[in-house]
Amino acid sequence: MHTPDAAPPPLLKVTNLSWSVASTTILQSIDFSIKAGQFIGLLGPNGAGKSSLLRCLYRYSKPGSGEVAFAGQNIWQLSADEYAKQVAVVLQETPSQFNLSLYDVVSLGLTPHKSLFSSTTTTDKELILQAIEQVGLSHHCQQSFDSLSGGEKQRALIARSIVQGPKLLIMDEPTSHLDIKYQIQLMELAKSLNVTVLASFHDLNLAASMCDELLVLKKGRLVASGTPEQVITEKMLSDVFGVCAEVSLHPQSEQLDKVIPHITYFYGYQTGVTNGK
Amino acid sequence: MANNHSLAVVTALILAVVSIFIALSFGAAPSKFIDVYHSLIGQGHDSFIERIIWQLRMPRTLLAFLAGSGLAIAGLILQTVTRNPLADPYLFGISSGASFGVVCFITITGVSAGISMSAAAFVGSLVTMLLLVFIAGRAGRGQVETMLLAGVALSFLFSAFTSLLLYFSDPQAITAILFWTLGSFARAHWETLWLPALVILSCTAIMIGFRRQLNAMLLGDESAVTLGIPVQRFRLLMLILSSLITAVLVAMCGGIGFVGLMIPHIVRFFISQGTPSGLMMTALVGGTFMVWVDVLSRILLANQELPIGVITSAIGSVFFLSLLYFRKRES
Repeated sequence: MHTPDAAPPPLLKVTNLSWSVASTTILQSIDFSIKAGQFIGLLGPNGAGKSSLLRCLYRYSKPGSGEVAFAGQNIWQLSADEYAKQVAVVLQETPSQFNLSLYDVVSLGLTPHKSLFSSTTTTDKELILQAIEQVGLSHHCQQSFDSLSGGEKQRALIARSIVQGPKLLIMDEPTSHLDIKYQIQLMELAKSLNVTVLASFHDLNLAASMCDELLVLKKGRLVASGTPEQVITEKMLSDVFGVCAEVSLHPQSEQLDKVIPHITYFYGYQTGVTNGK
Repeated sequence: MANNHSLAVVTALILAVVSIFIALSFGAAPSKFIDVYHSLIGQGHDSFIERIIWQLRMPRTLLAFLAGSGLAIAGLILQTVTRNPLADPYLFGISSGASFGVVCFITITGVSAGISMSAAAFVGSLVTMLLLVFIAGRAGRGQVETMLLAGVALSFLFSAFTSLLLYFSDPQAITAILFWTLGSFARAHWETLWLPALVILSCTAIMIGFRRQLNAMLLGDESAVTLGIPVQRFRLLMLILSSLITAVLVAMCGGIGFVGLMIPHIVRFFISQGTPSGLMMTALVGGTFMVWVDVLSRILLANQELPIGVITSAIGSVFFLSLLYFRKRES
């Protein structure tokens, strides 16, 4: 890797970010940056502050101190519309009581791009249909969003973010509640979009195989970051997640020509037979 | 599929126009369709019956249409921004505020008729609306819950004041109040029709402009934020617009319950509210429904007018229950 003299600012740069709710500190002095084109995984046990951190990044929460900069600009100095054109978000669960169709939901991606009375043009419609096709849901186009399965809903939201046309896609545990097949499918779909992705993960093995770099949170602090090989270690798993495990090389590593760590967990915490290292 | 939707809107529009035309021929004085046609063409100054159609029935029917579409739109918007299928314009205490204004006015002046009574109702509902907007504006994250609960609380508060004042007033005032609360289009005149028309048309236009944002609200506040919507300010704006519609209508026609709640659901049975035509359909269906309710109120009892609110609630509930029943059987 070589750095040219005038290196562009990182796509997203978080500096000394802290956030607290009613005097409980949730996030504390977090620093990291994301280069364009990377696929970043955010890991951490329940309550570590993954969702809170992501919320600070997509402007749902305003940090108490510190700065989040997108392409060199503080995100709170951009207008809401302007920021939504750059950053799309797929959330864990999406409530919907009323009968929006899948097409309606996907077309919401146009929202930040459209002024009040502008209509949806033929080009827009093509874009929407293309996005739906790209996530493989063309046959459900007019079906109600509520009636879709969990995996289909998440794919529909990815189609929405395709229409939104962002530079950065943030995903907050998009694969929780999904069967393993759909977890893999969804993440590979996100990877195929060729945008920068920041996603929080529950499944560490999935994160290790998908991500270029990983960030690990523990109790609101960033405790590890780097390539999966650097981050996924037996020590980290024991320190942060409190489990004994063995890290080996994933059998596909050679074939894919990259180092994919693979975690094998040990069991027997109640009876004390665990003899992990 | 886009063609299907515009076809539905055009059909609804034709139905609405035909309904208004037919409604004009009903009433105490016997009239035929041809009279309606003549009075519309010649502006009806020729004969007695044409004058009745043009000067009495026409403003009344138009007011009914405006009221129906206004309340339906207001209901749809409130259900959307609170994501609560039970939200309706009257849930937020606007009509109780109006009743309170009217009762105050009657108690103080002793007058129980005329345009000043509408003005009192309007002031009453505006006061409620401002209180609600003030409370919801300070709510922050839990805005939806605060809005709904504060609305219900305000509604009870003003009802209590109204009952208290009525308890000490004379029976004549009570009758006037009762009739007013039940709703009527009898006060419709060409001279005052511009106000509801202006308010409803402009508020609806703004809402149609914001249709994408409205749909985005359905997927939750957090998701709406990520699409670039200032959620809390947007919700307040929509609350103000729908309250304005309701306040104007309550002042002109009294309390007409159930339409705002029911029509959006009926339309939603058939067409996704996310489509651009969803809002138009709701307005058209609401207006057409109210035109027919007004016809019924005039012809059900000979030489007597039934209160609108009674009919909307009665027909509305039965129709709605049967829709629910048949839909359940279908699925």
